[in-house]
Amino acid sequence: MPVIEADSLSKTYQAGLIRRTKVDALASFSIAVEAGEIFSLLGPNGAGKTTFVKIILSLTLPTSGGATILGQKLPNDEVKGRIGYLPESHRYPGYFTGEQILRLFGQLSGVDGSTLDARIPVLLDLVGMGQWRKTKVKKYSKGMMQRLGLAQALVNDPDILFLDEPTDGVDPVGRKDIRELLRDLKLKGKTIFLNSHLLSEVELISDRVAILDKGKLLKVGTVDELTRSGSRYVIGINGTIPQAWETEARALVMDVQVAEESVSIGCNSPAELNAAIDLLRKHGVQIVSVGQQRNTLEESFLSLIKRESAS
Amino acid sequence: MKFLALVLGTVREMAAKATLYFLLGVSTAILLGVLLTVSSSVSTEGRTLVVFGKEASPPLAEDMFSDLVMKMEAGLTGGLFLGVVLFGVFATAGLIPDALEKGTVDLYLSKPIHRWELLLGKYTGGVVGIFAVILYFLASLWLILGIKLGAWNVNILLSSLLLTYIFASLYAVISYFGVLSRNSAIAILAGLLYLFVAAELLENRAHGLYLLSDNTIYHAVIDTCYWIAPQIPAMQATLLKSIAGGTLDWRPFGQSLLSSTALFGLAAWTLKNKDF
Repeated sequence: MPVIEADSLSKTYQAGLIRRTKVDALASFSIAVEAGEIFSLLGPNGAGKTTFVKIILSLTLPTSGGATILGQKLPNDEVKGRIGYLPESHRYPGYFTGEQILRLFGQLSGVDGSTLDARIPVLLDLVGMGQWRKTKVKKYSKGMMQRLGLAQALVNDPDILFLDEPTDGVDPVGRKDIRELLRDLKLKGKTIFLNSHLLSEVELISDRVAILDKGKLLKVGTVDELTRSGSRYVIGINGTIPQAWETEARALVMDVQVAEESVSIGCNSPAELNAAIDLLRKHGVQIVSVGQQRNTLEESFLSLIKRESAS
Repeated sequence: MKFLALVLGTVREMAAKATLYFLLGVSTAILLGVLLTVSSSVSTEGRTLVVFGKEASPPLAEDMFSDLVMKMEAGLTGGLFLGVVLFGVFATAGLIPDALEKGTVDLYLSKPIHRWELLLGKYTGGVVGIFAVILYFLASLWLILGIKLGAWNVNILLSSLLLTYIFASLYAVISYFGVLSRNSAIAILAGLLYLFVAAELLENRAHGLYLLSDNTIYHAVIDTCYWIAPQIPAMQATLLKSIAGGTLDWRPFGQSLLSSTALFGLAAWTLKNKDF
């Protein structure tokens, strides 16, 4: 059962003071996120990713369409007690210590004092901020603020976690820690909704990914589905490809790219793939593997965005 | 608990700002001045006020001496009023715009609190912070003058509540502009303009604004503005009169309650419809 469901959500902003122009931040955006999955929303700047999260959190009102979260129709302030949110550029009052920040936002989430007493030190240790708990936030670095933000998002032990660029400003070790933390949370049954520009990271941890551009949903699927390069196959071989095979293959109008110990073939049908394999065997080439060629998530993302811009 | 957390967080925010400490420092300096320089001497002819070791009044009967002390208290409270509204505006005007800044408002509104609750929590926190300063000054003044001059004027203690009430009326104006503009400077400017220009012009409209035109519609518009806005000068005048022993006129307080509530409601409605 989806825990986040958007149905034809649209948001149009008015821009400009004198010449009012309309900007479509979201256009009939529909999506369903299942419980317990790590779901990532990707898109270039201004694609509408943050707008979507803000609508779900009732920070922004949609122009049309509707959404539900944890089965509750939006806008709904009470359901936010079961949600954690780390905004992209969050700002905490500098005069609070890390511990005080967690207490304040924990109280605002409706968590009682004794639970907070027990939970705050655990959370600060979890994000590697235990030793800085008594330090004023104004002395924190960007990475430390990010870690504190993550602890803040977890302070009410939420069912759903919305994270907007959670590893922004965090060093590589910290990024790895955060990835592991997110995996642990998933194992505990939490749903994680991620907005990130770091596609390599998204690829590592996401169950499903949606690609958004100019407010429109371009594609949604598992990382595997999105990175699969439709009609290209890679055949692993022992040794080298004979020149004669290449000539014959090209004569069959195959798109072939020969590399060391592998050959990549663009096929229009399984019959073409089989013909290429038969040809290799005819030339005495030993085949060690056959698989569909995969792009990185970044390549798939860029190709989709490029295609969308061209159309 | 959520509301209390908001109020306490706001008071802590105010305590972190130098403006409030400056006001507390000035108040302490005045209180020390009163403590060290004011006393009284008793003779068979009556009680005499002594300031800086010199007689500042002729010997007076006890009731007349009490009247004199009450007038002195009214004068000091008048000074406090000016200090509180001026520094209070600076200390509190940023509370709401700061909470509505990008990056901060997202954190607040992602929690299970209503927007009006956030606004009310910030507003109440600001008023509580100012009340603490007022109470510190007036309760200390009451104690000092009571011990040193033997004049225990309960009105001065009650006036701490009314002075806070006057500030709260002004803060409703500041809050509205704070929500509308999300800018501390504009909120400060709006508060000061209202306090020193608009409210004064409306209060003294018979000697100023009315003279600009004889048109009855124009006069009716001016009157309407007067009745729908918090009447700060009228509240201040009657409060100081009551500290000096006069009768308190509750009318401007009642009218200001209505207009401040309406302004706050308007601010909450504006906030409810804002996109962040």
